[in-house]
Amino acid sequence: MPYREKVAWLSLIAMAVAFGPYLTLMTISPPTGPLPNLPALSFFAATVAVQLVILGVGHLWLRISSPQDARVPADERDRAIARRSLGAAYYTLLTGMVLVGIMLPFTSGGWMIINAAIAGIVLAEVVHYAVAVWSYRRGWHD
Amino acid sequence: MTKGQITNQIRTLRFLNGEMSQAELGQRIGVTRQTVAAIEAGKYSPSLEAAFRIAEVFGKSLDEVFQWER
Repeated sequence: MPYREKVAWLSLIAMAVAFGPYLTLMTISPPTGPLPNLPALSFFAATVAVQLVILGVGHLWLRISSPQDARVPADERDRAIARRSLGAAYYTLLTGMVLVGIMLPFTSGGWMIINAAIAGIVLAEVVHYAVAVWSYRRGWHD
Repeated sequence: MTKGQITNQIRTLRFLNGEMSQAELGQRIGVTRQTVAAIEAGKYSPSLEAAFRIAEVFGKSLDEVFQWER
């Protein structure tokens, strides 16, 4: 498996483990009360910390387990897949930000807007790494 | 647009060149072993430059290495 595919898998796992529970809980029981809300902010900080720890340990493990692969620079296929996945993520993020910034303010406010923005960013990142994994697995023909 | 796919003779040419490894071919054309494997398997269409480099390594013309099949 190419090193950059392993990194994409790691990023997907970190995103799912950290932000899956966060977004689920925020959907089931959204925070109430005025902003800033310290417990909700603490939960978000803990979520980001979990993601960073998973990414840090994962990258370290990948570098130790395959040091030669980690040193090899990206080749033309890696760059083509990166362009494709970033393009898909860009349009996902753009759509999310239009919804959050232009439509949601008419119907919602406070934490709903904040968490919708976070969900948009998370979804864009998931699309980014999922398209990369898909392209490595299934092929690339553009 | 006509539908088709690019096929290649890289596996055969590697065999005929002393069972050259994918890693060695990759090193000579500036891509990873995994990318050579993907090209061989038809999962990735290389750039024109990489295709010419591959043909050059085997001393063949481009159309002896890559074919367009409908």
